Amino acid sequence: MTTRPAFGDFLTAARDHASAAVAGHQADRSGEHVQEITDSLLHVITVMGRYLHDITAVPGGMRSRASPPLTPWGQARLTARDALTHAARHLQEHTWRTRAPGVAARSELARRLDAAAAALTAGRDLLHTHLARDLRGARQFRSEWGLVVCSPAVGRALLAELAWLAHQIAPPCLDVARSAGSPDTASAQRGLRAACGRLQVLSGSVQAAHRADPVSVADRDLLLAIPLNVRLPRPLLDGSEPVSSLYDAVITSAERARHAAWATGAQPAWSPHLTADSLRHVAATSTVTSHHCEILLRSLAARTADTGTAGLSARLLRAADAAGRACAGWLNLARALNQVDTDTMRHLAPTAGEAADLALCTGRLAYADAAWTLSSGPGHQPRPPQDLVPQPGDVPLALAAAHHACDAMTSQAYAQRERIRTAASAGRLLVPTRSLPDTMDIPRPFAPALPDHVYALLRLCQDTAEAAAEASAQAGEAAVAIRAPSRHLTAARAAARAGRGASTNSRRPAGPEPAVTDHPREDAGAVQAALHRLGVSSPDLLQRAADIDQAGAQLIIEAAGRTSDSHAPSDPRTASRPHQPASGYQHEPPEAEH
Amino acid sequence: MMDTARQRLQEADGLAAVLDAAYEAFEGMLSVIHPVQDPASSLFAAFVMAAASAADGRNAVALAPSLPRHPLLAVPAEQQPWSGEPPERVAEMVAGLSHLVAERLTQAAAWSPDTGDQAACRHAAQSARDVCGLLSTGP
Repeated sequence: MTTRPAFGDFLTAARDHASAAVAGHQADRSGEHVQEITDSLLHVITVMGRYLHDITAVPGGMRSRASPPLTPWGQARLTARDALTHAARHLQEHTWRTRAPGVAARSELARRLDAAAAALTAGRDLLHTHLARDLRGARQFRSEWGLVVCSPAVGRALLAELAWLAHQIAPPCLDVARSAGSPDTASAQRGLRAACGRLQVLSGSVQAAHRADPVSVADRDLLLAIPLNVRLPRPLLDGSEPVSSLYDAVITSAERARHAAWATGAQPAWSPHLTADSLRHVAATSTVTSHHCEILLRSLAARTADTGTAGLSARLLRAADAAGRACAGWLNLARALNQVDTDTMRHLAPTAGEAADLALCTGRLAYADAAWTLSSGPGHQPRPPQDLVPQPGDVPLALAAAHHACDAMTSQAYAQRERIRTAASAGRLLVPTRSLPDTMDIPRPFAPALPDHVYALLRLCQDTAEAAAEASAQAGEAAVAIRAPSRHLTAARAAARAGRGASTNSRRPAGPEPAVTDHPREDAGAVQAALHRLGVSSPDLLQRAADIDQAGAQLIIEAAGRTSDSHAPSDPRTASRPHQPASGYQHEPPEAEH
Repeated sequence: MMDTARQRLQEADGLAAVLDAAYEAFEGMLSVIHPVQDPASSLFAAFVMAAASAADGRNAVALAPSLPRHPLLAVPAEQQPWSGEPPERVAEMVAGLSHLVAERLTQAAAWSPDTGDQAACRHAAQSARDVCGLLSTGP
């Protein structure tokens, strides 16, 4: 199976070292090693402090305004940050930092602390592969996981883990601090004792928050599942793969397709990848993939009908029905896209290739024909349920494959909508003039698509995305029920949505539209979002704002349609942000750094 | 409709006529493929992909400088509805038509002195071959 390192790998390593430190610190009770233990604990606390800084970043815009009452977790974050700051100060007064890098400590406890710190550092580096800063220092996302990493749910789970570590490592260090030492070590032992006291404060404050608002298992699983942001290798199938390899191929190709969708959902209007050929091929292959999802989910429902897991089969059937509706939606969209073109032709974007790969992989899994391809003719039969899931223990991975594919389809549908909106707003969405009425004598082979046509396309994308999201949600519920490996996908979407909400409430402009794990802005334009940021909840006002947003979008599309010379904008910067002035749907400035 | 399109392609004389007939043939493929795109059919995936390729081909022909701006010949109204045929039969007919389209456009690319026409014909011929490959049931 092609897997990426996940945050859980490093966190588990840190936990193991912390546990081992507790178990094996008896040898250090003499106080002989207080100095190197002080150094090592400072190392751990420094890394923990960086994590705390990451998750307690206070939006700059909030400082000058009345802050809302702190939640238990908000209070815990601030307490923890202060505790680590003070703990570091206590240790820094006595640290010698004499041990050269790479030189192992003599004491077992110090070695364990060093190893825990190294694991935590690597874990934080992994999280940061999803984030970046622009030239102004503003936060940007580098993957669909960016919003998840910055979400409140993941922040709480992370803080709970740090508190657990603090709770583990404080007692053995405190033992060293209280042990009989020499006059030379007395001062260092006092510092160590004070630092351990701060760690206990940290642990206590987080435990109090956890009692008031517990961290869910799903949120912890999500934290552990955050993968390294690295491109997975393309699955290459030769027809000889066992079904278990096909599960992996589907999951890998779905992850690649999801990332490609995220990347292209925010592409500028002048992008050469923004072509009707790509739109058409994504729609066509996604139609096929959604059809395969329906086949797979029905087959899984049949296979699990008598497994004893309550409601699993019925839930899979509901997911299959929704996948069927998504397939119908994609088909309607594909037909509509067969009537349009763009000013750049004969070019397929990478996302079209990823979508085709996903269709191929899901087809190999869905059909009995091991050599099935998109160009295979008729005669291929669905894989029998017994072959799809040879052993009952294979159900979770088989479901994960179907779930990942459904989730990727959701991302593709929302990204498709953004691509169409971007192309239309720049006047790049065209129709053959021969398809227009004879009364429209246009001396060119193509003309801008009419506003009604554009809105029909956007509506089809929205309908398709909603059906795909429903299929993914139903499959996600089934995944949670049997603890399938894909269960974190549902939590990831929820966390990203909450992360977006937190960002909106912080009075800062939101980051780029995450076309994969979160699409909350699909229903809110710039004016409506501004009211949300002001805390307005009146339905009347929000409806008026939505109407204004819709009218603005209509105006832009009409204006683009009337501007015949807008196909090749002279200023790529303005062309890349077609919606920003009026609707801000997608290309808002990234979050400002506080 | 398929018969009419086939006949027009066979009888087309000159680059403009071939382009016009090819354009209408691609349009005709789309109009007959769309109604038979049934997920219950084993040809579903092939029809969906073939429609995308047919649209690619039509749009490639539309860029040919020598394509008449208006159709040279309106399809007789009584032949426009084309339904009720089983999907396998539709696939066979469209595959045959696309094969002919590819042939005529390849020939046209060789005749044409205009590089724009040549490129359009070559691209559209490739799309027609894609359609043919997707819907052909034989080896």
